[in-house]
Amino acid sequence: MQLDSLLDLKPDDAPTEPKIKIIGVGGAGTNAVDALDLKDFPAVQLAAINTDAQSLSNSSIPEKLIIGRSVTRGLGAGGEVEIGRAAAEADRAAIEQMLAGQDLVILIVGLGGGTGSPAAAIVAQVAAKTNALVLAFATLPFSFEGARRKRIAEESIGELRQLVHGLIPLPNDVLLQEGEEDTSVLNAFAVADRWIGRGVHSLCAMLLQAGLINQDLSSLRSVFHTHGGRAVFAIGTASGGDYVKQALEELFICPLLHLGDRPSKFDRIIVNVIGGEDLGISKVNAIMTMVSQRFDSREDIVFGAIIDPRLSESLEICILGKADMERRVSAVQAAPAKEVKTFDGGLGFETEISRDSKGPRPVHKTKLSKKEAEANQDEFLFVDDNAERGYFTKTDRNDYAGEDLDVPTFMRRGIKIKLK
Amino acid sequence: MSYSRVVAAVEIGTSKVVVLLGEIVGDSGLNIIGHSVCSSKGIKKGIITDLDLASDCVHAAILTAEKNAQTRVDEVFLSQTGSHLQGNFNVGTANVSSADGIIRRIDLDQAKQDAKRRTLPNSRTYIHHIQNPFSIDGRQVENPMSKEGSRLQVGYWSVHGDSEMVSDSLRVIRGIDLDVSDMIISSIASGAVLLEESEKENGALVIDMGGGTTDYVLYRKGYIVKTGVVPVGGDHITNDLSIGLRIARKGAEEFKIKHGRAYYQTTDRDEKVWLFGDFTIGDREYSLATITRIIEARVSEIFEIIRDQLKESNLLLPEDIASGVYLTGGSSRLTGIAEAAQRVLGVDSRVAECPDDVAPELSQPEYSTALGLLHYALTGQEDARKAAKPVGLLSRIGSLLNFD
Repeated sequence: MQLDSLLDLKPDDAPTEPKIKIIGVGGAGTNAVDALDLKDFPAVQLAAINTDAQSLSNSSIPEKLIIGRSVTRGLGAGGEVEIGRAAAEADRAAIEQMLAGQDLVILIVGLGGGTGSPAAAIVAQVAAKTNALVLAFATLPFSFEGARRKRIAEESIGELRQLVHGLIPLPNDVLLQEGEEDTSVLNAFAVADRWIGRGVHSLCAMLLQAGLINQDLSSLRSVFHTHGGRAVFAIGTASGGDYVKQALEELFICPLLHLGDRPSKFDRIIVNVIGGEDLGISKVNAIMTMVSQRFDSREDIVFGAIIDPRLSESLEICILGKADMERRVSAVQAAPAKEVKTFDGGLGFETEISRDSKGPRPVHKTKLSKKEAEANQDEFLFVDDNAERGYFTKTDRNDYAGEDLDVPTFMRRGIKIKLK
Repeated sequence: MSYSRVVAAVEIGTSKVVVLLGEIVGDSGLNIIGHSVCSSKGIKKGIITDLDLASDCVHAAILTAEKNAQTRVDEVFLSQTGSHLQGNFNVGTANVSSADGIIRRIDLDQAKQDAKRRTLPNSRTYIHHIQNPFSIDGRQVENPMSKEGSRLQVGYWSVHGDSEMVSDSLRVIRGIDLDVSDMIISSIASGAVLLEESEKENGALVIDMGGGTTDYVLYRKGYIVKTGVVPVGGDHITNDLSIGLRIARKGAEEFKIKHGRAYYQTTDRDEKVWLFGDFTIGDREYSLATITRIIEARVSEIFEIIRDQLKESNLLLPEDIASGVYLTGGSSRLTGIAEAAQRVLGVDSRVAECPDDVAPELSQPEYSTALGLLHYALTGQEDARKAAKPVGLLSRIGSLLNFD
């Protein structure tokens, strides 16, 4: 399977019109998909999976799947992960059907509840068996939702991350920072939906809209060609005035770029710029230079630029990055990767050519075994990995009365910090 | 010809390793003859996370101090902190043995032993047994010897730590071929040097706010009745600022020192501060309110935890803490820290000042723990009612060390 997906990387067999399906899993995931505005991209299919028949029936998503009717009688999982897991297991076949024949699957899930957390993992397992590239947007519960939801979310994020090509965690505590001063709890949940909406929109635009610099599914695959690893997603928008500078500034202070567990260096980044007709190639060049400098990995940045004639003096920069620090390297999988190296670059040793190629880099055998050890270590540390602990990421949790004291107090208390 | 020995007070802190060298002449004289401070490595939240890194910086600090003083260290007094330290209050009881009901030495010993009978699992080690007042038939007495009664009781505040972590810190000192003569928890060490006897009598709460931990000790009627460690300190304030303002740790640390205040006030909204203030690329303007709100949330939480822990033991009684709250440690430099403590604890609070006889360069909040260690080196815990050693502590830990 691994070999197949790697062979797909050859640019010349990239499909012209990729089949994209966006699947909301669980209650929060379904709500987020419902909130998507994708009328520009009618070809994108929307679907929802939930245990709760009532909440699914209120949704306008065309393709709906109620899972685990035999387990829950359509009444939801009641916050119990085991029920959600059993429900998804019971309907594996239907999930397989839903995922068949896709090129890109985007899962949207709110972690911490009874359905989303376990079902997303099972959907991801099924998806991993197809040829589709699988990305997942996963929101993490607010601290005020309690330690239990937090624990469920942390457990499932570790599981999910290993199954998809790119998992983008969206901690609600962090996103709340972007809302207005008096955001109510309900609005606070909608904040995450808006972030997901912007990300999905940018992805679809990149893949489906004609651009100044075109990027397609194969570029996206080149960034996310391995399972596991850490993915980062960030967006900056601005309009009017010096919109290039402002959008860049906005991008660099995007809260999602400043999570505690962010990788210090990305292995590969895809940058997509959407602007009006006034966005000339010189402006795009300036953006590229700034972004390359900021992320310090020139060789592995893929750029896309899209002109939307409806826009003017307005710019959106979206980045998706991937760091492979805990790639699932096992002896079995490492072998085909080596195979591909000779196949891909045609050379048995590392050269400029093979390093620049989009495929997996050749790995010297001794390096590989070292990396393997590091990978295992990282996976171990992953267990109670928490996006908001910053400096304290690799220390024991600092539990006190159900809260982790290493997470900033202002975040746990929902105090909003305005940077603008 | 008086006997003299050189004692090193070593505090392995989260942000700094502090070493003070004291020359003890005879039984009473103490001269501070050298000191050094090194940035800590391999230590987070008061706990050694990397033994090699921690050893390197502790050894460097000791060697520098030795070099400055041009002498060799004879023994080490070491402070302890970290969330692994826990305490509990145990009461020992003895039925007066003699027929005439007069309390004798044997009754005292029996009550003391009864209080210390509680054994710990192997993974835990006692660090202090701190004696509290005796009582005869429920009446508190200062000295029960030769008094009459039938039931003699004595309380102990006992502090114990994780054996592994305690022996890790001992290993660091052993690594430079020095022996640890005694270990004292940070809060008790700081309290010993900052408080006068009268202040302890009236009741006082000492809060030592360091880089990774906040240690506190409560004196009531002259006795240590509770100690505690909140594994949160100045590093957390910096980390909160770094995440909240989305800046690097270095910038966050500078913000904290230059513009930080422990509480927020509405006028902060109109005040702007610059990240670098040097017109370079990447410099940004922030509202002071963003900084003070982040810090206020963190600092008040630290005091709230202490408040709740004292309340839980029914010890937060303003009339019993008449001398008030004394703040020390590097993080007590934060502007407005005393006000923040007072707001939460409801007790008169101030930043502690060192006694006058301490040299000005050592009269800094960062040094109070190490000064306290030297104080103990001099007095040798003679004042047994306040901090008695569990018998054979070091030999026990020592055997743990030799075992590997």
